Amino acid sequence: MRDRSRGAFIGAFLAPALGVYAFFVIYPFLQAVLFSTYRWRGLSQNKQFVGIENFRNLFSDPVFWQAVKNNLWLLFVAGAIAIAISVGVATGARGKSLLSRSLRGVYLFPQVISLVVVAILWYFVFSPEIGLLNGGLRAIGLDSLAKPWLGQPSTALAAVGIAFVWYVSGFYVMLFAAGIQSIPSEVFEAAELDGAHGFRRFRTVIWPMLWSVKRVAVVYMVINVMNVFALVLLMTRGGPDRKTEVMLTYLYEQAFTNSQFGYATSLAVANFVIIMALSLGILFYFRRSPMEARR
Amino acid sequence: MSKTVCLAGGLLLGVGFVAGCGSGANSSGGSSKELSVAAFQGGYGIDAYEKAAQEFGEMHPGLEVKVEGDPRIWEKLRPRLVAGDPPDLMFPGWGMDHWSLVEEGQLMPLDEALDGPAWGGKGKWRDTFMPEILKLCQKDGKTWMLPYYYMIYGWWYDPGVFAKNGWTPPQTWNELLALCDKIKAKGIAPITFQGQYPYYMIEGMLLPWAVSIGGIEAVDAAQNLEPGAWNSPAMVRAAEMICELRDRGYFQDGATGMSHTESQTQFLNGKAAMLPCGSWLSSEMKDVMPPDAKIEFMMCPRVEGGKGDPTAILIGIEPWMIPKDANNKEMAVELFKYMTSLEKAKEFVETKGTMMAIVGSEKAKLPAVLIKPAEAVNKSKTVWSVQYRMWYPAMQKEIEGAMTSMLNGEITAKQFCDRCEAAAAATRDDPNIPKYKLGS
Amino acid sequence: MTRAVSTTLLLLFGFAVVLPLLWVLMSSVKSGHLIVSSPWAPPDLSNLAVENFSNAWSKAGIGRAFVNSLIATGATLVFLMPISAMAAYVLAKYEFRGSKAILATFLGGMMFPHFLVIVPLFFLLRDLSLLDTMTGLVVVYVAYSLSFTVFVLTGFFQVLPNELGEAAMMDGCGHARTFWRVMLPLARPGLLVVAIFDAIGLWNEYGLALVLLPSAENRTLPLGIANLTMTQQYQSDWGALFAGLVIVMAPVLFVYWIFREKIHETMLAGALKG
Repeated sequence: MRDRSRGAFIGAFLAPALGVYAFFVIYPFLQAVLFSTYRWRGLSQNKQFVGIENFRNLFSDPVFWQAVKNNLWLLFVAGAIAIAISVGVATGARGKSLLSRSLRGVYLFPQVISLVVVAILWYFVFSPEIGLLNGGLRAIGLDSLAKPWLGQPSTALAAVGIAFVWYVSGFYVMLFAAGIQSIPSEVFEAAELDGAHGFRRFRTVIWPMLWSVKRVAVVYMVINVMNVFALVLLMTRGGPDRKTEVMLTYLYEQAFTNSQFGYATSLAVANFVIIMALSLGILFYFRRSPMEARR
Repeated sequence: MSKTVCLAGGLLLGVGFVAGCGSGANSSGGSSKELSVAAFQGGYGIDAYEKAAQEFGEMHPGLEVKVEGDPRIWEKLRPRLVAGDPPDLMFPGWGMDHWSLVEEGQLMPLDEALDGPAWGGKGKWRDTFMPEILKLCQKDGKTWMLPYYYMIYGWWYDPGVFAKNGWTPPQTWNELLALCDKIKAKGIAPITFQGQYPYYMIEGMLLPWAVSIGGIEAVDAAQNLEPGAWNSPAMVRAAEMICELRDRGYFQDGATGMSHTESQTQFLNGKAAMLPCGSWLSSEMKDVMPPDAKIEFMMCPRVEGGKGDPTAILIGIEPWMIPKDANNKEMAVELFKYMTSLEKAKEFVETKGTMMAIVGSEKAKLPAVLIKPAEAVNKSKTVWSVQYRMWYPAMQKEIEGAMTSMLNGEITAKQFCDRCEAAAAATRDDPNIPKYKLGS
Repeated sequence: MTRAVSTTLLLLFGFAVVLPLLWVLMSSVKSGHLIVSSPWAPPDLSNLAVENFSNAWSKAGIGRAFVNSLIATGATLVFLMPISAMAAYVLAKYEFRGSKAILATFLGGMMFPHFLVIVPLFFLLRDLSLLDTMTGLVVVYVAYSLSFTVFVLTGFFQVLPNELGEAAMMDGCGHARTFWRVMLPLARPGLLVVAIFDAIGLWNEYGLALVLLPSAENRTLPLGIANLTMTQQYQSDWGALFAGLVIVMAPVLFVYWIFREKIHETMLAGALKG
C-alpha cells in the first residue's frame, strides 16, 4: 500500500456528494424504474405487475419510433450545427478587440432567459401572419415563400431545430472558450513561430488540444437533445401530426394526458438507455488525449 | 436561517437527515376545522372561488377554507392523490384525465349528496343542475363529478363587417359556399382556425356536420366506438366538406400554423370573416380586442337535406369533484352547494361572462355576446357533447393528428376517416382501456 | 479577407443573440393588443404601457417569489459547489477501482427527465417532513444539480497538470491540503463557469418546485411567472406576461453583465497559471 491516508481521503471527499445523490436521486430513480414493469395510471396506489409488457408495446409503437427519429435528427443536424457555431464563435472571440469583448458580454443571453421566453420568441418568428420571417419574405416580394413554418409537416422540425440551436449555442461557446483559454499561451506562440495562422492553426493546434472539452460538449449535447421538452411543448406540442414529437413530449402525453404512468416510465427507461449508449460510445471514442498519444 | 444550518448538518453527515427541520406546513391535519380547495386557474381566474370560500367560512366560524389555484393544478394534484392526501374539493381542469380518476376509485360518488337538499333547503340539489349537463358527469347511472360553468361551441363573425358588406350569416352549407366566394372576392379570408389545436376543427366543423348529415346517431355511434362509425358516409361527407373549403382556398393561408391566440386575433382584426370557437372567446380575448371589433355567435351552417336536428348544439363542461380520500367531504359538499346556489351562479354569470349549468342562472344579466348562444341552447332540442375526447385521450390525439394532416392537404377525407376508424378500433380492441357509453 | 468574414459572422451571431432580448424588452412596454397584432412594431413612445409591470408585479406576487428564488438559488450553490468540487477532484485525479462507475452514475443523473421521479420524490420528502419547505427544495436542488456539476468539473480537473499537485505533495502537503490550497484555486475558471450555469438553471427551475412547494407563500419566481404565462393562455394579458419575463430575466442578465469581464479574467488567469 502506497499511502494509507489516500483511501480515507478519497472516501471522505466522495461521501457528501455521493450520499446526497444516492438518497435523493438514485433511490427515487430506482423506484421509478420499477414502475416500468407495472400497469399503473399514476393516480392511486393500484398497480398491476405486467413484467416486460410495457416494453413490448413500446417497440411496436410507431409514435415511439417517430419520436426517436426526431430526437436523432435534432442531435445529428441541429446539435452538430450548434457545436460548429460555438467552436467558431469561441475561437473568433478570443482576442481583445471591442467586438470580442462585446460578444463575451452577450453570448450567454439566450441561456440566461427562461425557455418560456425562447419558445414564445421563436413562435413569433415563425408565426404565419405576424411572424418576422414571413414578414421579411413579404417585404422583399417573396410572398410565395411565406409558409406556416410550424404548422406544416415539411418544415416544423427544422424550425424547432433552429430555435434549439439558438438556445443552446451560448453554453457551448462558453465551454469551448474556457477550453481555449486553458491552452497554454506558449502553444499559441509556438504555432505562431511555425507560421500556423487562421484556420490552419485552428485545425492543427487548437482543435486537438480541446479533446477533453469536446468530450464533455458532445456528451452534454446528447443529453441536451434527448431531454428537449419544454421548447417543443411550447412551440408545437409535438405537432403537426407528430412531426416534431420527441421522446419527452410523448412521455409527458402518456403520463399526464393518457394516465399511462407505467408506460411512460418504460419510455423514460428507453430514453435513458439510448442516452447511455450514445454517451458511452462518445466517451470511448474520445477515451485518450491525442496529445498524450503524441508524446 | 436555522433551516440552512440544519441543512448543513444534514449534508455533512451525508445522508443522516434529521426529520422535522422544515417548518412543517404540509400534511393533512385531518381535523374538520380545515377545508381545502384546489382549482384550475384558467380564463376565469380563481377570485370567484376565493370569494365564495371566504363567505362560506364566515358562515361557519372555526372553519378555515383554503383555496389554492394553479394553471397546472393537475400536475400538482397527481402525487397528492397517489399519496392519499388530496384536497377536499377539486377542479383539476382540462389537463386532468378525469375518467381515470373514476376508474381508480379516487372520487366520492355524489348521488347521495345530490338527492339531499339544495343550498337553502329548497328542493333536491340534483334538480338545481341542468339535467342534460349533469348527465355528462355520470357513468353507469352513477354521478362522479359535478358541472359548474359550461361552454357552447359554434362559429363567430363580426356583425359590423357583415353589415357593411351586405353579408348575412350563412344558415346552410350552400349559403356558406356562396358567401365564402363573395368574402374571398373582397380580399378577406373567409374562415380562419386554430391550426395548432386541431380539436377546434373537429368540434367546430367535422362533428357538427356529421350530426347535420347523419343525425345525432351518427356521432353517438362514433363516440360509442361502434365499428364503422368513424368512416360512415356521414363522417366521410363531413370530412369532404372540410377538404372542399380547403381546396377552394376558403381557409386563411397559414391557419394550420396558428395558435388559438393568433387565429383569433386575425379574426378580430378583420383579416378573416368567420372562426369556429367556444363561448369563452370574448373573455379569452378581452385584452387584445380592437376597439371597433364586434363579435356575434352563429350556429355552424347546417347541411341541406341532412337527417340531423338543425337546432342541435354542442356544449362542454369542466367538472368539479370530491376525492374519496378527502378529509372533510361533508363540508366540501356544502361549499359546492353554496357555489352552485342560484344566487352565486348568477353572480358568476355576471362577473365572468359565462353560462352556468344551474337551472335559472340564464335569467341573470348575460353579457351581450352570450345572448345568442344562450338562445341557441334554449331553443335546442338536441344538446350534445364530445365525451370521447375525455374518455379516450390517446384516440383523440390520433384523430387530431389526422385532422392536421388533412388540413395540410397531406391526406384525403377518406384517408382521414380511415385513420380515425383505425384509432377507434385500436381503442375498442384494447382490453385495458375502460369503455364508456353515451348517456348511461 | 478571413478577418472580414469572421468579423461579419461574429457580428451576425451577436445580433442574433441580442435582438430577441430587445424584442422582449420592447414588448413589455406595449399594450397587449399591439403585441399580438404587430409584434415587431416599436412601442408607442407617447403611450408606454408601463402598467404592465405593476400588473405583473401584483398578479404574480413577484416580491415574495423573488426572495424565495434568491434563497433557493443561493443556498443550493453554497452547498453544491464544495461537495461537487471535492467529488470531481477525486474522480479526476485519483485512480481507484470504481471511479469510472461512480462518474458514470453521476452522469446518469442527467439522462432521465426529472418529472419521472416526482412521485417517489414527493413521498420521500413527505416522509422526511421536508415537503413544502425551502430546506426540502434546496436539498433536492443540490442533489439534482450534482450530475451536471460533478461531470463538468471532473473535465476541468482532468486538464489541470498533475505536476503541480505532485509538487505540493512533495512539499509535504496532505491530499486535502493539496486540494484546497493548490488545485481548487487552479480550477476557479471551471468552478465559476459551472456555478453560473447552475445558478441560471436553478433560477429558472420549474418542475420540481411546482410539485415540491405546493403553497403560495413558498413560490419561486418561475412559478409566479408560469402562473402569469399559463393564465395568459386563457386571458391574453400579453403585456403583463412580457413585463413578468423582464422581471425574471433582468437580475440574471444584470449579474452576468457585471461579472462578464471578471469571468473572462478568471478564465484567463486560470489559463496563464496552467
